[in-house]
Amino acid sequence: MKRRAFMAGSLSVTFVVAGCSFPVIPKRPAPTPEAAQGWIQYRDGRYVLFLPRVEMGQNIATAMKHVACIELGVPATSVDMRLPSTQDIALVRATVGSESVRHFVLPLAQACATLREAIASGKVSNNSGAVLPAEPLPAAQLRAFKRGAGRSSIQAALPLEQAQQIVRGEPLYAADVRRPGMLFGRVLRAPASPELNAHVLAMNEAAARAQPGFVAVMRDPLLQQANSLGVGIVARTPGALDRIEAALALQWQVEGGFEQADLDHALDIDTRLARGALAHDLVADPMDRDASWDVDLRFDIPLAVHGQIEPRAAVAEFGGDGALQLWVGSQDVFYQRDVMARRFGLDAEQVTVHSCRVGGGFGGKTICTVELEAAVLARAAAAPVKVQWTRTQELRYGFGRSPSSHRVRVRLDQGRLGDWWHAFASSHILFMNAALPAWMQRFTDFVGDGGVARGATLAYTAARRRTEFDLVRLPVFSGPWRGLGAGPNGLVIESVIDECAFKAGIDPLQFRLANLEDARLRRVLSHAAHAAGWGTPVLPAAAGQRAGRGLACGIYKENAFAAVVADVTVDDDGQVQLQRLVCAHDCGHVINPDQVRAQCEGNLVWGIGMVLYDELPVADSRVAAGNFDAAPIPRIQAIPRMQVLLIDEGEAPGGAGETAIVAAGAAISNAIRAATGVRLTRFPVRHADLRRSSP
Amino acid sequence: MQLNLNHRSTAIADAWIDEKLLFVLREHLGLVGPKFGCGAGLCGACTVLVDGEPQRSCLIRARDVDGRAVVSIEGLASAKGGALHPVQQAWLDEAVPQCGYCQAGQIMAAVALLRQHPQPSDAQIDVAMAGHLCRCGTQQRVRSAIHRAAAQVGGQAGARMGP
Repeated sequence: MKRRAFMAGSLSVTFVVAGCSFPVIPKRPAPTPEAAQGWIQYRDGRYVLFLPRVEMGQNIATAMKHVACIELGVPATSVDMRLPSTQDIALVRATVGSESVRHFVLPLAQACATLREAIASGKVSNNSGAVLPAEPLPAAQLRAFKRGAGRSSIQAALPLEQAQQIVRGEPLYAADVRRPGMLFGRVLRAPASPELNAHVLAMNEAAARAQPGFVAVMRDPLLQQANSLGVGIVARTPGALDRIEAALALQWQVEGGFEQADLDHALDIDTRLARGALAHDLVADPMDRDASWDVDLRFDIPLAVHGQIEPRAAVAEFGGDGALQLWVGSQDVFYQRDVMARRFGLDAEQVTVHSCRVGGGFGGKTICTVELEAAVLARAAAAPVKVQWTRTQELRYGFGRSPSSHRVRVRLDQGRLGDWWHAFASSHILFMNAALPAWMQRFTDFVGDGGVARGATLAYTAARRRTEFDLVRLPVFSGPWRGLGAGPNGLVIESVIDECAFKAGIDPLQFRLANLEDARLRRVLSHAAHAAGWGTPVLPAAAGQRAGRGLACGIYKENAFAAVVADVTVDDDGQVQLQRLVCAHDCGHVINPDQVRAQCEGNLVWGIGMVLYDELPVADSRVAAGNFDAAPIPRIQAIPRMQVLLIDEGEAPGGAGETAIVAAGAAISNAIRAATGVRLTRFPVRHADLRRSSP
Repeated sequence: MQLNLNHRSTAIADAWIDEKLLFVLREHLGLVGPKFGCGAGLCGACTVLVDGEPQRSCLIRARDVDGRAVVSIEGLASAKGGALHPVQQAWLDEAVPQCGYCQAGQIMAAVALLRQHPQPSDAQIDVAMAGHLCRCGTQQRVRSAIHRAAAQVGGQAGARMGP
């Protein structure tokens, strides 16, 4: 089997959990029309839609309810959307990879069509989740996929599901759950990366017990995260947790250590290239590696925070019969169930995991951490326990964007790409260290890592291409982050393409079009350029400001396409201000145009973050940031006017959650290049790199 | 202790008087609209109004607001019938929320802004909302919703803008 084919296959194997025993492997079944019949129930003239996806702000609940209403031929008031527990529907896979509309809408529509016909023919008055014998209709015969005249119905979007509760402040999230007699818990760990062995040297338990609100301090082997064994505390109020933590005055013994420089050295692509070929290649055309290059650039992209505003939280409660109820804000609800069953020796049926709205996921809520902590503390305290991580715990014991180091070398041939060589090193993404112990990660090394490889293969035509990478286990946790490798890879590739255009003396738009064959990518590029007035002068800057316009484009998972144009100004001191972002986006058939636009807006803001903000500093063997002041994300002042154009020519539905991020960062960086002449190669930007030298 | 909360007097049990107002609201009283995001006044998700001014409820104790009027997101809609405050309605009309977690804090800050500046400029909005982090990227829609609420109230004599 060729390595590339094998790597594609490996994408179906994703996240596993760390722990003191063998990791639980998440199941990833494909959604089928039969499974989908369990998502829609009919009883006494009303319908219940059990959402088979996690709702985390992509507003998939609204889109899927919309499809159900169209296919059933009923108004929104007849369908109740519910976030299911693991008892309500059969196992569905994690909500990751922008695949909910792409893979789950068709089976839902088919199940609704089957139910509609069964009701019409009088076969069904209550289905209660029973599977109806029916051949699923092909997409072309489904109302929700109808094009042309019949399409107008789908354009009138429903109100956002749960938006009323959001603006009224009603309970929706895991931390909003309150149970009778509920206590509050926290697991204290060494102030070091959980990758390092750590144990307790001393603690003042008597002082902790003297604190008002104290309930318990406990040690349990299940409180191990990677190599770090935690100490659990339980209290009657959240504030008491802070007092108990302070009084305990835990002292830790930590084995080994590292600094930022160690990570930088481990990833350093030039050092790796000096040793020879890298371990994994995606494209390997033969080319002369020694002759001179027209463009030769090194890029470094650091560890970065997800920065979702909701710190992960869970509420756990054991019943008298030993059964466990768990409320989570997780991207993989069934995986949480399977971990609980394994760790507590329960049958899957004895564990009920309730899916709550997630207050931002972005790939970060795919592992089991706070959920197990809450369950362990609840079992020990014999009471319901809520655990919500502090922001410091989020930063220190969660994981960040995998850092990477890139070297790209290009030879041009009369305005065309001749030789393209992209070599990079990254920490794992799908087979992340936050979930896999080192020994297990080594077993994955021969298949590579589809998350690291995502978006790395050049979309442009070149005479000869070489794309290769190394995987590096780092001592800080890293893993999936919006777009996985496609974000950093897109930033690098589109920066280099832009530099090639400058080198060739060709307009960046024309250079791209001259080297691109993909019709959908060319189309979004042309739409974005036209809408942005590409070729017209950039908005005049105020005195002392330099102005520039840049563009970039890219493909996400071969099913969605985006192009972005950015206008920026840069002042004498090197401060960058975005003036405008224009995005053309093609994810095929669109269910809810407004919410696809919202996803594009989010991706554009993440592009701003990638270039101007995203960095998680490391020092003293751990993530050094303890809160948002040291791990900033873009604020409202940084956000310019954004315009999004949706292109829907009826291709199959693709993903929108992580598409525009492949182009947004590079468009901004290319605009800064146009304004200042400086090619950014390390991110986020240091203002000193852009300061105007004194005349 | 009695807390003047959402236009009503509410009893606070002794064990909670020295707790942070955020957790008194969320865990003692069950008003879970204000959210825990950072615990340090850096993200704005826990924002409530104290005597009309936006305050980070993760930084102040229940004791600190004794005798002052506290309004949380739950106190914005009309007590009779539950009609939404114009800012809440504008949030729905502009389809602002993505994950939604920061939105209660954003809405409270917007209410306070519109009391001070009934027709705010983009620059005034950016200053007022600077301490409210949103990772989903709803900032452009936050601006639109504030302008919409301002226009609606400005165009409607007697429309209710106070918290």
